[in-house]
Amino acid sequence: MTAPATSTGVEAGAAGHGAEPRGKRADDGQATYLIAIAEAIWEEMERDDRVYMLGEDIAVYGGAFKVTEGFLERFGPDRVIDTPIAEETIVGMAVGSAMEGLRPVAEFQYADFMSSGFDEISTVLGRYHYRSGVPIPAVLRGPSGGYVRASSFHSVNPEPWFAYGGGIKIVCPAFPGDAKGLMKSAIRDDNPVMFLEHKWIYRRIKEQVPTEPDFLVPIGQADVKREGTDVTIVTYGALVHKSLEAAENLAQRGISAEVVDLRTVHPVDEETVLESIAKTSRALVVTESYRFVGIGAEVGATIAEKAFEHLDAPVTRLAPPNMPVPFSPTLEDAFLPQVADIERSVEKLSAW
Amino acid sequence: MATEVDPTAAEASTAARRPLPDDELLDMLHMLKLCRYFDERMEALYRQGRLPGAIYSGRGQEGTHVGVAWALADDDSLFPTHRDLSAQLTKGLDLKRVMAQFWARIDGYTRGRDGNSHIGDWSGNKTFTVMSHLPIAYPVAAGAALAYKLKREPRVALAICGDGATSNGRWHESLNTSSIFRLPVVWVVNNNGFAYSAPNALEFPTATIAERAVAYRMPGVRVDGGNVLEVFEAARAAVERARAGEGPTLIESVSLRWRGHAGHDPAKYMPNEMLEEFMGNSDPVRNFEELLLTDGVITTEGVDELMKRVESEFEEGYEFALASPFPEPGDATKGLWVEDGYWSSEPGRGGGTEAG
Repeated sequence: MTAPATSTGVEAGAAGHGAEPRGKRADDGQATYLIAIAEAIWEEMERDDRVYMLGEDIAVYGGAFKVTEGFLERFGPDRVIDTPIAEETIVGMAVGSAMEGLRPVAEFQYADFMSSGFDEISTVLGRYHYRSGVPIPAVLRGPSGGYVRASSFHSVNPEPWFAYGGGIKIVCPAFPGDAKGLMKSAIRDDNPVMFLEHKWIYRRIKEQVPTEPDFLVPIGQADVKREGTDVTIVTYGALVHKSLEAAENLAQRGISAEVVDLRTVHPVDEETVLESIAKTSRALVVTESYRFVGIGAEVGATIAEKAFEHLDAPVTRLAPPNMPVPFSPTLEDAFLPQVADIERSVEKLSAW
Repeated sequence: MATEVDPTAAEASTAARRPLPDDELLDMLHMLKLCRYFDERMEALYRQGRLPGAIYSGRGQEGTHVGVAWALADDDSLFPTHRDLSAQLTKGLDLKRVMAQFWARIDGYTRGRDGNSHIGDWSGNKTFTVMSHLPIAYPVAAGAALAYKLKREPRVALAICGDGATSNGRWHESLNTSSIFRLPVVWVVNNNGFAYSAPNALEFPTATIAERAVAYRMPGVRVDGGNVLEVFEAARAAVERARAGEGPTLIESVSLRWRGHAGHDPAKYMPNEMLEEFMGNSDPVRNFEELLLTDGVITTEGVDELMKRVESEFEEGYEFALASPFPEPGDATKGLWVEDGYWSSEPGRGGGTEAG
């Protein structure tokens, strides 16, 4: 894994648009998160004829971020379907075809636009099985998150909207290997799965990614990405990488931080989180979803409720304020949690 | 386009007025009578305080419901609304289990997780479990039709919504997308005059809903919901067209919602003369009964016998519903995820028959 330094300026094509090809695995077997996700879908489509994709600009154009580049040529127009800009209908068609035995993977060009299909997601996808017993094995996937100077409508973290009410598993991987294994699990799952791909990670993070056809990472399991003894940082998505960078810096100052990557934000793996708190007695919950009613609010409350006897300091949240994500670099950097913010919060907790 | 009502129909031969064999026509009359009786009796029980929850009467619109559902094969799928229980009964739902659902019992199709006509039987009769956010089932019907097309199966999805739902963006999305992909789907609009309290003039600016089909390059057919055979024939043609791979059709079936939006609504906004006109001239049940009597397909004694059968079916359903236990409280949190196995096993029946 290599994590390049965070850019502080405005990046050209930062929001991920553009004609840059997806690229290939390096000779040493390293793959980007983007490549790992594409590999997972490709392999599942080769394994199972029921798997097909639908979404905007995914076939001929290969997707705005190039996840689906080359799929049309390999799998044909019946399994790689360009749709009109009609998000309610994209979700509805995924549901209806899943009810008839197919396994759709629906792409949202940005996870922001999942809100354009909100009712079909929240009301049908999330609530149909509980009332009818009919399985809906559909995957909704799309790029989420900020740190790429993409402002209010291309930086959203929609996971709390769709975690509320239940019925949809929500996955937010941080590493290429996890992304590949979780995507395969998502496609094989009989329940609806929302798969949120952090666009800041797409081309920045590389690592060795398994090539076994049945390499699966279970949905609903967190992973300790760095062991530590003084403070637990619970996080997911791009902030896993920023937390790891902070933990490295803190180690040089004699503070040992453990980093727990949730990987799945609904349902949350409480066991792994609580085990870590039992060890460190201090919890910092770092999320890109808002502080108010965000994933961190829920995880923090769970820790306060279930690990009270282990805690030596207040459960602390680090998360953006409850307002739109701004564009200008100075504003976005102030708005989203940064490495230095994580270090400060951990130092404060460890001094408690 | 739009209207395909044949003005010379009244002069056509009696045989031409009857597009189905006599035994099937008698079954159709039975279904119409059953749906009407069920609707009236359930409202009476509701007003007596003997039925919990809500009711959404489809009275006056049975011609639409029975007519379109009659055109479907067993493995074709139906995507109805809460107003369309008569279509679900026509598709094959068991009246006893329907009534168990109204009384919130474990033998209802949703095992007590939903009530009244928010019902469906996907694994049996291929009907979608109704949701309230209309036309929420339209995009899902497009998805089922997409699956039939991708799997090269000669099957059809048929979705129903009301006139009110045609104001919603999903109505446009679904018609538009289905026509682009030539999906095997039939779009039915039960135009019963009102969206809760809003009349047609507040719902769409065109003279008819059927004429909006032009914008989607699909046939738009407007039929008389008071004439079940006219509805059936339009639906049959649309289903055949879809099955042949020729794409979707829009059917507007015109009737009037005789009752309020739901049981609590006295519908004082509805003009009396309008109600009298439809109840007097466009009663789909009475019109069909008179046709069969006139043509000698049934006798008045036969109608009496049919009604006795309908009454006993209702009584049987009522007894079944009240004898069915409530769901067990401990099962409330089961069945959200497939892997807990709740829906693939028999549910607990220890909830008793007395509500807490």
